Amino acid sequence: MKTNVYQQQLAHGLGIVSKAVAARSTLPVLSNVLLATDDGRLRLSATNLEVGITCWIGAQIIEDGSITVPARTLADLVSTLPGDTVSLDLNTQTQTLNVKCGSSSTDIKGLDAQEFPPMPVPELDDAVELNVADFREMIQQVAFCASNDDARPALQGVSVTLSGNTITMAATDGFRISVRKSSLSTPVPQTLSAIIPARAMIELSRIAGDSGDVVKMVIPQGRGQVIFHLPDVELASQLIDANFPDYKLIIPQSYKTRTILPTSALLKACRQAEVIARDSNNVIRLEIINNENEPGRVEVQATSEETGASEIILDASVDGPALPIAFNVRFLREVLDVIKTPNVVIETTSNNSPGVIRPVNDDSFLHVIMPMHLG
Amino acid sequence: MKSRKILHMDLDAFFCSVEELRDPSLKGKPFAVGGPAETRGVISTASYAARKFGVHSAMPTGRALRLCPGLILVSSFHGQYEEMSKKVMAIVGDFTPLVETLSIDEAFLDISDLPETPLQIARNLQTRINDETKLPCSIGGATNMLVAKIANDFGKHQHKEPTPPNAITIVEPGMEETFLAPLPVDALWGVGPKTAERLIRMGIRTIGDITRHTEEEMIQHFGRSGKELLDHARGIDDRVVQVEHTAKSISQETTFDVDINDRNILLQTLKRQSSQVGSQLRRQGFTAKTIRLKIRWDNFETHTRQVSLESPTNHDSVIMQSAIDLFLRIWSEGRKVRLIGVGASQLNQEPVQMSLLDTTTQKEDRLLRSVDELRQKFGNLAVYRGYDIHQKKH
Repeated sequence: MKTNVYQQQLAHGLGIVSKAVAARSTLPVLSNVLLATDDGRLRLSATNLEVGITCWIGAQIIEDGSITVPARTLADLVSTLPGDTVSLDLNTQTQTLNVKCGSSSTDIKGLDAQEFPPMPVPELDDAVELNVADFREMIQQVAFCASNDDARPALQGVSVTLSGNTITMAATDGFRISVRKSSLSTPVPQTLSAIIPARAMIELSRIAGDSGDVVKMVIPQGRGQVIFHLPDVELASQLIDANFPDYKLIIPQSYKTRTILPTSALLKACRQAEVIARDSNNVIRLEIINNENEPGRVEVQATSEETGASEIILDASVDGPALPIAFNVRFLREVLDVIKTPNVVIETTSNNSPGVIRPVNDDSFLHVIMPMHLG
Repeated sequence: MKSRKILHMDLDAFFCSVEELRDPSLKGKPFAVGGPAETRGVISTASYAARKFGVHSAMPTGRALRLCPGLILVSSFHGQYEEMSKKVMAIVGDFTPLVETLSIDEAFLDISDLPETPLQIARNLQTRINDETKLPCSIGGATNMLVAKIANDFGKHQHKEPTPPNAITIVEPGMEETFLAPLPVDALWGVGPKTAERLIRMGIRTIGDITRHTEEEMIQHFGRSGKELLDHARGIDDRVVQVEHTAKSISQETTFDVDINDRNILLQTLKRQSSQVGSQLRRQGFTAKTIRLKIRWDNFETHTRQVSLESPTNHDSVIMQSAIDLFLRIWSEGRKVRLIGVGASQLNQEPVQMSLLDTTTQKEDRLLRSVDELRQKFGNLAVYRGYDIHQKKH
């Protein structure tokens, strides 16, 4: 292999694929990045066997070939090189890659490309097309709810369901759930659902930011994989083979009190209360107050034995009986962070039943949080 | 290395002594604390008068009554055992902070740094316990835990009267091997019936017989524990008195009257203890983030294992499941257990995050609240779990 690439493009490509490099692996080749000439471009791939990312960059190919080299070594080196042409020259005898740029020349010992796990190739004819901006917003509104608990694999993923012309994403950590719907430009012939690791989704939304308008999603039959295709990037992920909780049963169908608040005011109040609440289990109390002949209000309270106490009073439109309810302030803050409408609704029934949070006049998103309660 | 001074303190027939304080008419009579024969009860402690008839702890009550027809049975329910135990341990703690509490009525003290002789300290300790709690106790002293404990058991058995022994037995430094030599092998920790049988087949009956074998021979026959056996027979034991830090926690422990290797009994015990811990947590308005299992094998080797819960709990079932999981990881079939216990720590009185998916948690919440209310009104036996009924029937 002998090829010339631009330093910026190489650095950019390495930045994209490096997120899939295995941090610690018993397989040395998984710490490496694959460099391969591919139809007039240079292909960079990395995989940790759960997520694999491939990125193609423009290159002047002098001689075809492929090699894997330690990802960290190459990325660290390239980031220090001047913004100039980098020539990559493989000595196939010694499996050593020479990286030359300006007056700098570095030999990096590699491992045979044959040892690198093959990356799945998507059948793009079967792909579902999704609008990148929509898709990124969906991931942003949902993926943060996924759990980190290895003992509950289903909750580490985002449930993605395609039905007719609707795509629905949901994620839950067992304490809260986010559900977001969006419409598809072309309906799917049959209903399809999968649980995609939240980490892969978050990575995808990061990558998709600057690559085209349309992302194509392919879930090949019986392979337990999903592949997302962008013009210069592909991300493949293992699916989580588990049952996602039937969240329709969790979402409350009724409420007693409906409170409408300005989103930004409530978010600010949460941030202020969190300063105190973080020292006391993250608990904040919302006193929803609805007295006759006076405007409704919500008092946001946090108390910590060591740190102190805080109270923020917000004007609100309250419909229904008054109620004190305690929430994990982080949960509340995180959902308010992803709600884009100026006003937000909180629907509550009692201090030990789930509260529903929705953007006003937007049915595409809803969030349910279980309150905190003395056991 | 400077030689150590270790005492082993054991209250004599503790439960019976407490009952005698409650009802002085029991004094000198053959009686026992335990469950009634009709429910397949077992004697937990027998008074020294009853022991003369051959009644001993862990004996089925039915058999005890046949051996000693006039045996008075006292139920253990109204015992003030815990309270009395705390008083005793407080006195023990006045002598040294280096105390390892083995059970409700037994403790090791490391008194190496005190100027008095072990005998003087043992006498002072015994006098204070006798005077301040009116409870008899026996004390063994030696340069290590093994010999101190064996000395104490030995001293108690030397006493043949139908009264509490209140004995003190000190083995002087350098005399450990000589002291142990004539004793039967099963006086050593870790020598159960099986090991004893194997030793007898090798012609070993006394601890002294063991010391006539080389380390290689012992290892050849018993593997790694062969070396330990030989060390112990020579009176060598390097274990240190382990002081338990009283971090804020709630726990329940049971020391068995006879060492248990029946997995079902152990599991039942864990279940009962878990409910007790759960109930104490709820009564005090706590939830716990960490559940701990403590296990002491018959050779006094003690392990604790703990697990951090995803969300804090005060539910019997969660505590139980965690304790059982921990137990099953450490349990090895056939090995005998002397003490087992369940503890809860990282206690918190803050509100806890309720689960969205796990509606059984909320159901159990309501159930436990009702059970606690019933128990508060009608006593602890007003309601109990199904497995307890099962246990009582058989």
